Amino acid sequence: MPSAPSRAPRPLAYWVIPQLPTADPLPMDEETETYLELYLDQCAVQDDFVPPRSPLFSPVVPYVYTPNPSNPETTFNSHLESKETSGNFSSVDLSFLPDELTQENKDQAVIRSKHETEENSETQSQQSRLPLPSGQDVGPGSDSSSLSNSRSHLHPGDANSIQSAPAKPNCNSSPLASITPMTPMTPVSECCGIVPQLQNIVSTVNLACKLDLKKIALHAKNAEYNPKRFAAVIMRIREPRTTALIFSSGKMVCTGAKSEEQSRLAARKYARVVQKLGFPARFLDFKIQNMVGSCDVRFSIRLEGLVLTHQQFSSYEPELFPGLIYRMVKPRIVLLIFVSGKVVLTGAKERSEIYEAFENIYPILKGFRKA
Amino acid sequence: MTYQLYRNTTLGNNLQESLDELIQGSLNMYRFCDNVWTFVLNDVEFREVTELIKMDKVKIVACDGKNTGSNTTE
Repeated sequence: MPSAPSRAPRPLAYWVIPQLPTADPLPMDEETETYLELYLDQCAVQDDFVPPRSPLFSPVVPYVYTPNPSNPETTFNSHLESKETSGNFSSVDLSFLPDELTQENKDQAVIRSKHETEENSETQSQQSRLPLPSGQDVGPGSDSSSLSNSRSHLHPGDANSIQSAPAKPNCNSSPLASITPMTPMTPVSECCGIVPQLQNIVSTVNLACKLDLKKIALHAKNAEYNPKRFAAVIMRIREPRTTALIFSSGKMVCTGAKSEEQSRLAARKYARVVQKLGFPARFLDFKIQNMVGSCDVRFSIRLEGLVLTHQQFSSYEPELFPGLIYRMVKPRIVLLIFVSGKVVLTGAKERSEIYEAFENIYPILKGFRKA
Repeated sequence: MTYQLYRNTTLGNNLQESLDELIQGSLNMYRFCDNVWTFVLNDVEFREVTELIKMDKVKIVACDGKNTGSNTTE
């Protein structure tokens, strides 16, 4: 689970301190979280190598940016304390956050800030330390991890719609249409402590320049290019362990990462490889296309029973495939359910969809427990 | 041919053969272009019945097809 980075002070230009609204403080919901996400994401975008995130920086807590590096930590600490005691966010002063933006304004702001960040990433200096997102994606049980998890479920969605810097405030009061209402989403359900682990993330990004695949294959390390078989260069890196398919149009697919952060980081590394080979590579429209998770319910399942009662969702042909294919409608996730109790969940665009799908299926599976 | 295409992409997800070799520590780099494979290996032992040759760096260039692959060592 990624936590917020501790980072050097940023020039104020990248963070527009908005006019403080005179209305009531914004309710702590996904919109206000979004701006925190924006800021953090923007900083992540600027740094090729984001330093490991401090656990103090709970992303749910509003982050007051100041140029002084020492202040944010103390601010964070005080906010963190109040956060953990109250449990809801109404007591926290969020007046520093901008008014809600309309979707179009956000998009425009994103495009503007993308241009900024593209320039930044092209001129940024090398950092020696590789960032590693913290080991576990998911922490069951505790408050802080549930906060983190609610953040991490939100983050991929934000990463999709809002890529970088917080935008200039716009005094429209309509809520951000793209973000669904945030229910406190913890992967730890009431019924079990089982949390699906992410196994694979597929993402795409546009490098926005035509590429000479032969040149890339000849000069890059760990690259394969067989145009007769497949019209893309297949490149691999060790950390994060991923594979990229790089096309001559400049579009790239990155597969194999175990978390959203790792997928983004890996894609950035590939983009840097391409950039170093002399192409004016950028990093546009990074989007997670698919997420795969798996878990074990630890009991055997009567798949025949399940397919009989849930036949509109299930398909089970043991002669074709030993797993039952359950196509859940909400969220739109496909689950492969096996007699052993192992479950594979796929088709998610966001981590929360995996968790939600498992929450939904678990009671059903319990009903079909063997013996 | 289409199956090969999918094999490439599923490889990316799961198999990572080349990377597994990397992790085992010997394969430094690989390349495949114009139907020519190039490998760079480190700390290699060539073992024949009678002889053992150790080398820090080995570059293997291998071509496909009817002609035999060629090897160069450095």
